[in-house]
Amino acid sequence: MAIEDPVLFRRVFKITGGDFQNAGSVSKEIKKALKQLNTDAEVIWRAMIVSYEAEMNVVLYARECEMTLEISQSGIHLVFDDRGPGIPDVGLAMTEGYSTATREMRERGFGAGLGLPNIKKTSDHLEVVSTVGFGTRLDIRLMFPAAVSKAA
Amino acid sequence: MLLEHYSHSIMIDRNLCTGCVICTLACPVQAIRVRDGKADVVKSNQCIDCGECLRVCPHQAVRSMTTKRQDLTGYKALAALPSPVIYAQFGDMHTPNDVLLALKGVGFDYVFDLAVNCEMVFIAIDEYLRRNAAPRPMISNFCPPIARMILKSYPNLVPNILPIEVPRETAAKTARRRIAEDRGIAPEDVGVFHITPCAAKVVSIMRPVGVDKSNLDGAIAIRDLYVPIKNALNNIGEVEDEWILQKSSGVGISWAIGRGSVRGLPNRRTLSVTGVKDVIRILDDVDAGRVEGIDYLELSICPGGCVGGPLVVENKHVATSRIEDLIEQYGVRSRVDTRKVVRQFEQTYLLSSSRFHAQAPEPLDTDLRRALEKMSRIEELTSMLPGKQCGACGAPSCRDLAEDIVRGNATPSDCVFIRVKELEDACAGHRDGAES
Repeated sequence: MAIEDPVLFRRVFKITGGDFQNAGSVSKEIKKALKQLNTDAEVIWRAMIVSYEAEMNVVLYARECEMTLEISQSGIHLVFDDRGPGIPDVGLAMTEGYSTATREMRERGFGAGLGLPNIKKTSDHLEVVSTVGFGTRLDIRLMFPAAVSKAA
Repeated sequence: MLLEHYSHSIMIDRNLCTGCVICTLACPVQAIRVRDGKADVVKSNQCIDCGECLRVCPHQAVRSMTTKRQDLTGYKALAALPSPVIYAQFGDMHTPNDVLLALKGVGFDYVFDLAVNCEMVFIAIDEYLRRNAAPRPMISNFCPPIARMILKSYPNLVPNILPIEVPRETAAKTARRRIAEDRGIAPEDVGVFHITPCAAKVVSIMRPVGVDKSNLDGAIAIRDLYVPIKNALNNIGEVEDEWILQKSSGVGISWAIGRGSVRGLPNRRTLSVTGVKDVIRILDDVDAGRVEGIDYLELSICPGGCVGGPLVVENKHVATSRIEDLIEQYGVRSRVDTRKVVRQFEQTYLLSSSRFHAQAPEPLDTDLRRALEKMSRIEELTSMLPGKQCGACGAPSCRDLAEDIVRGNATPSDCVFIRVKELEDACAGHRDGAES
């Protein structure tokens, strides 16, 4: 698949931890970019949801993050590579309702413990690699509907 | 009439336009470009008729395409349906009834208090919410650019557009029928006009979205009738009983300002957002499922609601204060018979006949591979451009210029910084050539 499905578009974004001012701007840029393609509204919407969740995780927990958006004919590939505390138990973090959010974060409306499970539910593929004290890498894929990639 | 030219609410007068790019930078949907020294709505299918360009143009080159007084000919009877905003235009000395009577003095045979219909619509919204548990929030569809914006940018929210007819349309339907019966004339011989603070209304009348035909014949700008109304107000004597045209409570009058739904829907969880930037922000949040527990989202493109419309005379803050006074004075108990409205609701009289369909933006290319290549090219060009966002090229940002270039509508040398560099290089080349 990798050989027949080259990356045709790549854009790198920076996300800063604690920057609530610009939180959500990356997912908005992703939505804007995807809208220029003749693609399914549902995929765009899913991409926006997962990128917002992941972006908020960075703003809430990490120091900084490099986010890479790649698009090929088969779908969208999002990689969030952050420098931060890391997740001690990835399996537990994938459980709905589990959260380490502080009271302040909850007061801002976050920390319902739905971030990673929501990303998993909304995407077609999620891989989480985390090293405590170093950072977390989320590898997310969303596939275009078959009809769209065939027509392309 | 110039029906074919009513694709937007505005027209740019090329004689007055100086090509200054103020409207280009203000346009919230990046639809305007300055080409050959003049502004033009080049991306006309992106335009949502919000009127920002009209508001910011310092040269009066952007004009609203509203109905003018001299166009009111050829009708056997004329009816005016003024927006409640009009009650806030003439200071504290004139009551809403005075203003309605003055409109008769201006030449309308029939004048209706549209605030009554606004009150009916609030009851209809409440009834709709009671009968339909989902989706939430329902989004108001009374400000014309809102539906246009949702259809173009938020396809997932199309089912949230409230299917209740706008007050002016139901009012116009009733008015036309009654006047035709009253006078014994054909319905089409009645001219029914909305008096409006809004630049977009005229498009929603001439080119309605999702429906074939409006019940109105046109929309006249409040500011175009300001002087005649002001003069007529000076000639109003003692008001007799049969001249009481103003029949609404403060609930209907509250339609003129943002937060009107607070009075109109006291038992619902509502949210009111005004101003184009804040509207975009809240729609982004609703689209992403980040707005919970809200039944009804009242949106207005103009800051502060309809009192902030571009075609008014009074300062919007002064007008808001006047409307607040009137709400208090006329009370927040609706004067409309709820049972009658619910009956009309059941007869679908108050339901919108519009059918909405999402409108996808023009893709970079219908072929995905080529579209992605073009997107990469836009990235590349954007990083080459100076990033000053000056607008001197005629596009609102460097990224927009990059997109225009890729779409074949501009060239890199439209950028003044690139052009200077090109000229310097050419001069250097010429000099080197001369020296050797």
